[in-house]
Amino acid sequence: MKFIVSSGALLKQLQIVGGVLNTNNTLAILDNFLFDLKGKTLSISASDLETTISATLEVDSSDEGLVAIPARLLLDGLKALPEQPVTFVADEKSGTVEMSSDYGKYSLAFVEGDEFPKLPEMEDVSTTTIPGEILATAVTKTLFAAGNDELRPVMSGVFFQFSADNLTFVATDAHKLVRYRRNDQHSDHTAEFIMPRKPLTILKSTLASVGDEVNIHYNETNARFEFENIILTCRLIDGKYPNYEAVIPKENPNVMEIDRGTFLSSVKRVAIFSNKTTHQVRLKLAGSELHISAEDIDFSNKAHERLTCNYEGDDMEIGFNSRFLVEMLNNLDSDVINLEMSASNRAGIILPADSLEDGEDVLMLVMPVMLNS
Amino acid sequence: MYFCGVQQIPPEYIRKIIHVDMDAFYASVEQRDHPELRGKPVAVGGSKERGVVAAASYEARKFGVHSALASAIAYRQCPQLIFIKPDFEKYRSVSKQIRAIFLEYTSLVEPLSLDEAYLDVTENKKGIATATRIARQIRERIFEETQLTASAGISINKFMAKVASDYHKPNGQKTIMPEEVLPFLEELPIGKFFGVGKKTAEKMKKLGIHYGRDLKKWDQALLVREFGKSGVHYYNIVRGLQKSEVKPNRIRKSIGAERTFSQNLNSQTEMLEALTGIGQKLAERITAAKASGKTVTLKLKYENFETHTRSQTLNAYTQSSQEILAAAQKLLLENGPNQAVRLLGITLSNLKPAQSKAKSVQLTLDF
Repeated sequence: MKFIVSSGALLKQLQIVGGVLNTNNTLAILDNFLFDLKGKTLSISASDLETTISATLEVDSSDEGLVAIPARLLLDGLKALPEQPVTFVADEKSGTVEMSSDYGKYSLAFVEGDEFPKLPEMEDVSTTTIPGEILATAVTKTLFAAGNDELRPVMSGVFFQFSADNLTFVATDAHKLVRYRRNDQHSDHTAEFIMPRKPLTILKSTLASVGDEVNIHYNETNARFEFENIILTCRLIDGKYPNYEAVIPKENPNVMEIDRGTFLSSVKRVAIFSNKTTHQVRLKLAGSELHISAEDIDFSNKAHERLTCNYEGDDMEIGFNSRFLVEMLNNLDSDVINLEMSASNRAGIILPADSLEDGEDVLMLVMPVMLNS
Repeated sequence: MYFCGVQQIPPEYIRKIIHVDMDAFYASVEQRDHPELRGKPVAVGGSKERGVVAAASYEARKFGVHSALASAIAYRQCPQLIFIKPDFEKYRSVSKQIRAIFLEYTSLVEPLSLDEAYLDVTENKKGIATATRIARQIRERIFEETQLTASAGISINKFMAKVASDYHKPNGQKTIMPEEVLPFLEELPIGKFFGVGKKTAEKMKKLGIHYGRDLKKWDQALLVREFGKSGVHYYNIVRGLQKSEVKPNRIRKSIGAERTFSQNLNSQTEMLEALTGIGQKLAERITAAKASGKTVTLKLKYENFETHTRSQTLNAYTQSSQEILAAAQKLLLENGPNQAVRLLGITLSNLKPAQSKAKSVQLTLDF
């Protein structure tokens, strides 16, 4: 097997595919990239058994072959080379791949490509197509809110809910929840599945630069994302996603409208003085004034700020974990947000008041922190 | 603080602490109530084949039988050993009798278990001048009322008192006076120091630390580098610096339940089933204690008596038996035991401070 390729082009694809590599694999073969050469098309893959990514690129070759090459070594080797054509030759007899650059030759031991785990065959597949940019936004807006409780694996992923009316993406850790909905996107099939965190993290970074459409194929157990030269296949999280619509309060008579940036910086400043385990900040609303305060009784630390806002509703006091507020406010793009509330022991809802695209619907929900006296 | 020349312990570190330790408590209670057992090697808990010794009479100790020793080993070392089923109800009531005596002298009583307690008698209810005399009176009273003997250690802090109570055991007492503390600590073998277990002792010996005097040569930064946070503790304790507050209501650090099986468990199915039973027992204790905690620990003792523990810390405090059991089962499956298991246990620790002042609670969505 022999091919010539631009070092930079190969490195770029390897870095994308390498996102799936684990540092401590149980299966040694997973420390390799699988190189599958068919004439001018080279396909490279990496897998952690749950997620497999492949990227294809064009190379100069008329050869065929299938080998697994140590990933770490190859990445480091290529990173150290300035952009130039490199020649790869796999020698079956010695079991090594020789990489030649302008400077010299480098050899790596390869493993038979047949040993690399095969992709699962996907049967009964449905397909939905969505612009890459929109999928990237959906993942960015939701993933941060997913949980990491191993005992509730369904909440460690993002819930994809496709219908003829819209596409909805939901993440929650039971303390906060984000629902990102696109009413301008549709699916021919009604479908629901839970995507794990890792493939989404990879998609998030890879999709950012993708203008193309993404084809999402899915069945009960797996999903496959195809776009440009990339195919990402992953196992879905098995289980039933909690009924999130039921926990979004419908009646929220108390509404605060406030400048997002001002609110965010105030929460950040005040939070510095909050209790280090609860991170609690208190919002006190009266008239058109918002008082934000925090206190760490154990160390006698305290902070208090006063902001103006538009407020409609009864005077009220409510406590939140400042970290959640900061994460959520940071994740929005709007200049102004609305915080809708009903009572100090019920969820608060954060909605962007502007900057939404047509058909875009963002809802963030955060449960309060209660004073237990 | 670095002492050179005349060494002394700052006065705020000097209290009058008594450590009272009943002699072979469970075994002595049994011998008291069953005259035919007197003078014989008795083990409370376990049987010839299974379980562990909860307490051994002094006659049994001569054969190397001690508490926490596996019964089978104890039996091998002392074939004439008589195994008695423990009657904790009885021990608890005797313990209460003894505690009542302590409380006549001071309200600062910190029970460590049914048969051990720390007393702070710096100020005592009877206005007795010396802790040594109080200890003697208490031991006499215990004997009068229960016909059981106790040993006592008297010194400036809990650690010293505990070391001292071991000195003239059984039925004796020792006082280490404030001015004797530092010389005493210099000569104390490293393994006897509070907080120095087997492993740490080994490590210290490798570093050339065999006695207190060796430990004292190490400066604090070096100790911290070698032993982490505990380094500070070792640095202080060898200098007699232990602020030992006697806490009348000892804060519980963990709640656990475990079981030694009459036959080793070989299959995962059996183990999972057994865990369910242990989980139920633990759940009862958690409910009774109104506790909730974050860390679940699974304890496994293999047929070769090696003990392993695996823990997982959850995101939030829990008291749900299901959640705790699920975590324990997961730990079991993840660390699939490769040999038969004779004991399984589940412990909940990292307990939530009970009603600490105005703690905030993060509310959870009702899924």
